[in-house]
Amino acid sequence: MVALTAAVANLKGGVGKSTTTVMLADGLSYFYGMNVLVIDLDPQANSSQMLLTEEGVQAALDQGKGAHHLLASFVDGAAPSAAPYILPNAVTLEELRLAEAQDRRLGWISSLPAHPQLRLRELSLEEEWYGKSGTPTTLASALSDYFREAFLPLLPLYDIILMDCPPHLSPLARAGLALADAFITPTIADSVSTWGTKQFSEWVSRFIATDLASRHFVLVARFRDTRYARQIASDLREIYLKDRWFGPSIPESVHVLNAMDRAAMDSYNTMRGKYSGVTGDVRRLAERFSDFMTQRTGVTWQKVRD
Amino acid sequence: MAEGPRLSAVDYIDRFFDELRVEIRANPKLAARLVRALGGNVVFENEAKTEAANPYALAAEGDSVRFHSVFGSMKITEIRRVLRDNNLATRVDIAGKNQQQLVDMLYSRASRKVSERKGTLFGADRT
Repeated sequence: MVALTAAVANLKGGVGKSTTTVMLADGLSYFYGMNVLVIDLDPQANSSQMLLTEEGVQAALDQGKGAHHLLASFVDGAAPSAAPYILPNAVTLEELRLAEAQDRRLGWISSLPAHPQLRLRELSLEEEWYGKSGTPTTLASALSDYFREAFLPLLPLYDIILMDCPPHLSPLARAGLALADAFITPTIADSVSTWGTKQFSEWVSRFIATDLASRHFVLVARFRDTRYARQIASDLREIYLKDRWFGPSIPESVHVLNAMDRAAMDSYNTMRGKYSGVTGDVRRLAERFSDFMTQRTGVTWQKVRD
Repeated sequence: MAEGPRLSAVDYIDRFFDELRVEIRANPKLAARLVRALGGNVVFENEAKTEAANPYALAAEGDSVRFHSVFGSMKITEIRRVLRDNNLATRVDIAGKNQQQLVDMLYSRASRKVSERKGTLFGADRT
């Protein structure tokens, strides 16, 4: 199987892009035994912190791993290759770690982490590029070509690549979006998020993927199960984005926040221990995304755990 | 609207402090915060110790001996609770560890978290 790439993206910040990325990575590796690569293109590095801890994010940078170094290789004119910058182990689930230790791997997560330095490196590249009469569009295009070539040899090694994109349209973010086979857009059931999600959807349809509707998986998170929140979510489904594939509603809860706070780099938890009361939501998210991808590709994903 | 009983200023203040005393007895965390706000230092015992002890605040002081004296006197079940309540360990992490190992884990993980959150990722040497 050759990996498909899904960009987790929305121009609205704070809608749960990083949380969705990690929940989906855990869900697909655990329930479907998938080999997942998480690429973090957001300099806030939230999904990287969730998988590796803050110390791990810094350690990765110091060891020459991460998107920061891949971008540096572009700046240096090096041959495109992403493999040297990937951390092969970003697993936090005890079941996956144990299976690996017993030489019967069923599902795994690797990471190309981000770091706050990523944005500084990109800014420096932008200044240089624009100084030579380049434009944001030509830079995004050059980066996209470079990344496509850099990741090509890795596609047979993974089942799915999840790309956590930043809430802006910098050249790096646009390059990432241009590589995506599918787009996952988390949003929140409130009016400003609905507006931002609609704008993002229109921008991507116009400049990145004219067939976005058929490749778009939308997730609505709810802080509270109020009539207002249900109405907003319903409007999104029925009016603004009615031709999209919608995933299950994701609860924003203390369980989710706790699940995303890894205690230490050597800390592991069971699926049930990590997600507690939202374990079923992680399973439903993985199942629904699997249905979406099956509908897109015709390939059915087999579950390995219930 | 009925008028309340006429009380002297001292009576009102007594009522206020009575309520505060009740809350402080029932809520060691609030007690610890209030004492800290007054610049004092308080030593809690038994159940209250587990409730009030903040491993991050103690680790931030950087005094390993004091940290170990506070948490080293706790029962193993209490240390496990502190580790889990503060998101410093999972059930998997603490399984099979003795009291000393758990206190060491508590100190190293709390110190690391404090250090991560106090540090900057934009240092001069991080170009």
